[in-house]
Amino acid sequence: MNFLPLWRYQNQLIDGAIVTLELTVISALAGLVIGIAGAVALKGRITPVRWLVRGYIELFRNTPSLIQIFIVFFVLPNFGLKLPAFEAAAVALSLYFGAYSVEIIRAGLDSIPRSQVEAGQCLGLSGWQVFRHIILPPALRNAYPAVTSQFVLLLLGTSLASQVAADELFHVAGFIESRTYRSFEVYAVICAVYFAMAMSFKALFAIIGLAAFRWPRRR
Amino acid sequence: MALVEIRDVHKTFGKVEVLKGVSLDVQEGEIVTIIGRSGSGKSTLLRCINALESVDAGEIRVEGLKVHARMPDLKKFRQRVGIVFQAFNLFPHLKVERNITLAPLLTGRIDKAKARALAADVLTRVGLADKIDAWPEQLSGGQQQRVAIARCLAMAPHLMLFDEVTSALDPELVGEVLKVMEAMAKQGMTMILVTHEMGFARNVANRIVFMHQGRVWEQGPPAKLFANPETPELASFIASAK
Repeated sequence: MNFLPLWRYQNQLIDGAIVTLELTVISALAGLVIGIAGAVALKGRITPVRWLVRGYIELFRNTPSLIQIFIVFFVLPNFGLKLPAFEAAAVALSLYFGAYSVEIIRAGLDSIPRSQVEAGQCLGLSGWQVFRHIILPPALRNAYPAVTSQFVLLLLGTSLASQVAADELFHVAGFIESRTYRSFEVYAVICAVYFAMAMSFKALFAIIGLAAFRWPRRR
Repeated sequence: MALVEIRDVHKTFGKVEVLKGVSLDVQEGEIVTIIGRSGSGKSTLLRCINALESVDAGEIRVEGLKVHARMPDLKKFRQRVGIVFQAFNLFPHLKVERNITLAPLLTGRIDKAKARALAADVLTRVGLADKIDAWPEQLSGGQQQRVAIARCLAMAPHLMLFDEVTSALDPELVGEVLKVMEAMAKQGMTMILVTHEMGFARNVANRIVFMHQGRVWEQGPPAKLFANPETPELASFIASAK
């Protein structure tokens, strides 16, 4: 076991880790927007839109993420949409994260009692005001633990983007391994980096959760 | 013209007809208490007055305005008709002050500078001025219900509806809520209450309405109704409530 040969690749490893973080955060933010919009659509009254969202959820939750990335990267160019590796992976992972987020946020919205909505309506608030100020904050709190778990899965799942040569951490690791032939050392290092990033995000989310959702839980 | 005019109202849920032709007038400043067994349609009638439920037939008018779920200016109408529920329904993620000022701020009734003063004022009226910065979860059931009343008062309603507001409370907490409602009654607020608190109904209401099987079965001043019920159904209800 000798980790020294990896030292000269430290900049590539750092760059790879940064790309992984960028890919994760961009996909998570876009996926979250998709999640909220999809959850609202699922709760809406327009049946064809509900079917459309349901179809999207089932498609993306029941097919491999790798194939989704391949379709965006290799198939969409046939229809005139050619995306670089990072962007293609970001689009595919956003849709993947969005599909799970829709269900998580819908469950969060469903957890808010109807009586809360009625209380808002009875005070003369509009539908949007009730949603924004009364339903959404506690729904997000209820959905938060599941969303953050999904975020960590997304972080780990970004390694799939290496298959379309996006310069994220796992792709960098493959490159270093091919140069050094130090498989164990390379994968041990990036394993530690993924682990550190995942644990850091968990700690960060715990702090954000405490700051954002300060009201006491129901006894 | 009565403040509330209810004419031959029918309401059905599935195959169950809950209201079977209810007619009732409530004058401005009057306190009307609706009593009756569970399932007699009391709460449904209250929810119809506030357009939380639409009537299937008949008509409800409040301040001359025909009430239904698709009425124009429904939001403005609801700002004038406060309703307090059995389960308080405070917003758990908002402190007491924000619970009270959310609707007045969002509907443009007040500006931000006056919000805290308004919350303090209505909280003083329900005896909870010191709880302005508390979370709902930190309050007892009775205190939560008083905040719910304060939240309605902040909208300066013309009519208050109370739907079994003491039913979910421990017996020792009922008194504090009734006291607040009694004070509101003395100030001339028009109130329609659904309650099982017979003592309160007898002492505070101008008129008792006994509902039975989806109809107004009997109504009149409390003293007369409790002393000389005209129907065996009311007599049996009063006896069982003692």
